Amino acid sequence: MKNKIKVFRAMHDLTQEALAQKLNVTRQTILAIEKGKYDPSLELAFKIARFFGVSVEEVFLYD
Amino acid sequence: MKQNTFFLLAGIVGLVEVGLFWLSVVMRNPLIITAGFIMGVGLLYVARMTITDQREDERAVLITQKAGSRTLEVFWVLFFAVSLGSAVIGFSTPLGLPRPRELPHDFPRDEPHLGYFGILQMILLCCIAFLYIGFRVYYARKYGEWETDEE
Repeated sequence: MKNKIKVFRAMHDLTQEALAQKLNVTRQTILAIEKGKYDPSLELAFKIARFFGVSVEEVFLYD
Repeated sequence: MKQNTFFLLAGIVGLVEVGLFWLSVVMRNPLIITAGFIMGVGLLYVARMTITDQREDERAVLITQKAGSRTLEVFWVLFFAVSLGSAVIGFSTPLGLPRPRELPHDFPRDEPHLGYFGILQMILLCCIAFLYIGFRVYYARKYGEWETDEE
């Protein structure tokens, strides 16, 4: 599964650590998701999308 | 409780367990270490629930679960195989099954015999601990634990 977290993070001028703190996860988790090493749970996916104010489909792309 | 305080407590409990083991051997009473070990682990489980500064997210939980279940898959086969072998020794004569062969003269036949099986079990448990670490490292790598980035 691909995602645009890095793009949204850049748009909001956020570091991985800052985003991780907002979502109550570790920086490694954000990094692993961005690199496609880990697919987040539905709950975390919705949290990420809601944090950026967009829908889940805009952040995550199923290929 | 802080996480470092928990590690300190775990170390103290470990030392107490060693002392209890020694006492148990000296007094020839296995109940001391058995009860002490269960109480020690119980205390650590309760203490672990009170840790406040632990940051464990869903990815860390997944890594722990995967490593734990894989270790259990290997462990039960190994442990059951060893136990089956021991059960054969226990059951062979009283049930009237033909005795396979005479045991060597120096083979322990008295009371400590059961204790040797306990040592074998402890060796197995130590191997399992290493196996768990191996699986944990494998899944941690798979889920990007040591990935680096430009940030």
